[in-house]
Amino acid sequence: MLLALIRRFGQMIFVMFGISVLVFLIFFVTPGADPAARIAGRNASPETLEAVRKSFGFDQPVWVQYYTLMKKLFVTQDLTSFVNRGWKVVPAVIDTIPVTLSLVIGAAVLWVIFGLLVGLIAAATRGSWIDKSLMALGLIGCAMPVYWLGEVMNLITQSRYHDSWMFSWVPPLGYKPLTEDPKGWFLTLVIPWITLSILYIGLYGRVLRANLIEAMQEDYIRTARAKGLSETRIMLRHALRTSLISFVTLFGLDFGALVGGAALLTEVVFGLQGVGKLTYDALQNLDLPVIMTTVIYASFFVVLANALVDVVYILLDPRVRSA
Amino acid sequence: MKKWLLAGAAALLISALSTPSFAEYKAEHRGGTIRLLSRSAGGTLDPHINYTLQYWQLYQPTYDGLVTFKKAAGAEGFKIVADLAEEVPKPENDGKTYVFKLRKGIKFSDGRDLGVKDVVASFQRIYKVSSPTSGSFFSGIVGADKCLAEPAKCTLDGGVVADEANNTVTINLTQPDAEFFYKLGLPHAVILPADAPTQDAGSVPIPGTGPYMFSSYDPNKALVMERNPHFKVWSEEAQPDGYPDKVQYDFGLSEEAAVTAIQNGEADWLFDEIPADRLAEIGTKNKDQVHVTPLTAWWYLPMNTRLAPFDNEKARQAVSYAIDRNALVKIFGGKVLAAPVCQVLPPGFPGHEPYCPFTKDPGAKWSAPDMEKAKKLVEESGTKGQKVTIIAEDKAISKAVGVYLQSVLTDLGYDAEVKPIATNIQFTYIQNTNNKVQMSITQWYQDYPAASDFLYVLFGCESFREGSDSSVNISGFCDKEINDKMKAALALGVTDQAAADKMWTEIDKAVTDKAPAAALFTPKHLDFVSKRVGNFQFNSQYYWMVTQSWVQ
Repeated sequence: MLLALIRRFGQMIFVMFGISVLVFLIFFVTPGADPAARIAGRNASPETLEAVRKSFGFDQPVWVQYYTLMKKLFVTQDLTSFVNRGWKVVPAVIDTIPVTLSLVIGAAVLWVIFGLLVGLIAAATRGSWIDKSLMALGLIGCAMPVYWLGEVMNLITQSRYHDSWMFSWVPPLGYKPLTEDPKGWFLTLVIPWITLSILYIGLYGRVLRANLIEAMQEDYIRTARAKGLSETRIMLRHALRTSLISFVTLFGLDFGALVGGAALLTEVVFGLQGVGKLTYDALQNLDLPVIMTTVIYASFFVVLANALVDVVYILLDPRVRSA
Repeated sequence: MKKWLLAGAAALLISALSTPSFAEYKAEHRGGTIRLLSRSAGGTLDPHINYTLQYWQLYQPTYDGLVTFKKAAGAEGFKIVADLAEEVPKPENDGKTYVFKLRKGIKFSDGRDLGVKDVVASFQRIYKVSSPTSGSFFSGIVGADKCLAEPAKCTLDGGVVADEANNTVTINLTQPDAEFFYKLGLPHAVILPADAPTQDAGSVPIPGTGPYMFSSYDPNKALVMERNPHFKVWSEEAQPDGYPDKVQYDFGLSEEAAVTAIQNGEADWLFDEIPADRLAEIGTKNKDQVHVTPLTAWWYLPMNTRLAPFDNEKARQAVSYAIDRNALVKIFGGKVLAAPVCQVLPPGFPGHEPYCPFTKDPGAKWSAPDMEKAKKLVEESGTKGQKVTIIAEDKAISKAVGVYLQSVLTDLGYDAEVKPIATNIQFTYIQNTNNKVQMSITQWYQDYPAASDFLYVLFGCESFREGSDSSVNISGFCDKEINDKMKAALALGVTDQAAADKMWTEIDKAVTDKAPAAALFTPKHLDFVSKRVGNFQFNSQYYWMVTQSWVQ
């Protein structure tokens, strides 16, 4: 167990190092991205350019710059943005985590509950019109890009039907902290939660249904039936448990990626200042320190989520435990 | 689509005509919070460093220079008036010395008195923090060369001299500068407390002297301005009191969401351009909330005079003849939002005299493209069939302009392609000669109302720097005769601005004739405000005067 943990940790460091080097190199080979010229401002004189180059250390060899950046990021934690100068990046990222967590956890609760329901009902009523219509709806859910769905949701709730009884409760776009305004927090997040979870409900429902149907063909289900157990009990206690493995794998990966910033488009569309939006803005402005920090942060979560999924495997599947 | 746009545009035009005139302070409207929106923050809050229109607009009611641009609607805003100085001083020593007498009793927002030492320190600070314009606008102060070479040890000895007893500051220049007051009126020369940090203050606000002060700033969330408790009006035209008690500038909403928020009355104004697909809607539904104002700016097409095929003057002129500027105006949103142009200086600018050689019937105005003439010129230049790459920004309008130009160049017989690149990189990319850009689409907005800010900055030999991302003479145009004339006009301006402006008119024509860039159109600015915003005034220099509007 300890060895496995150490190996995991080693992998994580390796992945994060590789990503950081890639991000760094891509930034410095991009033409037109000379950070000194961008920082110095339009029509800066050569003297000014030189002074900026020197004060930001852009005259140093690339590997020294990489080292300084990493030191500022991990050791002294006083890395500042190139664009919004003087703005400390590490606290800024930490500041955005509650927003992203609020969005992703809420959406995850929705998609797990409804994903389970859709999968179970469809598998139980296999072949009937209920199953077929649920699967069709699931496919539509998967097929709608989240930025489009988000804009449509905004169009309906913020613009066209904003004054109607249905959506007059929807507050203006933006995030309200849970600690300051719990009700506002909840209300502003309802629409983003639904938008983000629809894709996953469709996906998870379909995956779970397929797995359940496959599990129902297994020998141990026949054994359970032979014992005289009810269909509901077989479905919930025996088939569902093993079928949950791919569900959990998917969940781990998706959740990790979303917390790491993959909810970017949802955050941008709904004006939520989370990690994803921070990354998006930084990419638009070529703000290397922010890009670097958010990318490292994201890779950390993806690797962490993977490790957690492995642990949950052991709890779910007795066959893995004994092996 | 086009029809709708035009209908919306017509509605916009009507509302543009009703600009309120200057009036006395109306105490009944004082108070409330005005909420502004923007996609993203505008960078550092340090007024000596920030070079964005977004924050320059906000520095007007927060900081003061020795002189400033008049806080008045329209072109009146181009006038220089005394601000922290008692009056705009007369030049001494053949225009090389100015003596500013400071007003008494002005306090910073932290309660401290403003004194001559703050002025001296602020001028030193311009170099110490490597302000973007320290090497261009402020290189003419005595001692500036030393400060530029070694910013940390900047003293400006003999350049900016304080006289504590008389409360005066003397500024000595190495040579006369007709545009010196304009430069002093820019935010990069505002007066900050003497102990302001000698490096970029970043997101930490520095106290100022205006009626408002920045109280908090988080580039990922919001910028907040509140009243400066120590402010007393000393000059209505330099620094009038404002109406709202608080200015809340929130970052993060997309342009689409921001327009909707303003329609719903949840916000009062957005900084970003309004998405083209919403123009028709707000032009009809919210026409009373829209204000359209012409800008002193241009969209233009720099052609690299050091690379084939545009190292050939005839090839450049051919392009200028062939462009249908009406088509471009339509792409930009119609006649209400832009006007065709074919010279460098924008309408309403000093030295501007309507001039258009590249049209069907050459004269004062552009009427229609002259394809025949253009094709003939290409034939004569012997550049036909060459490959041309147009570098556009990856924004809808710029891309559309690029695609249109590609068709024009193809008609002329070139093998043209368009490469849109990220908006944030494009402007530095097209400047660097290493990137071998033949033709690009870009814009230039004035810094201050002087002809040199377009002609000398964009086409002077000194603005061209080989292999640098900061080489704003994108065409690489350098004509010794014209350059000498520009320098002569700059010198003449010190004693006789009217005569100098006449010279600039000639220079404008000379540069236009050489076609280092094709002028496309003059853009207009569209402000969309909420229903409750009253007293909207647009200042030609710094745009909408936020705090001169009221919300209650």
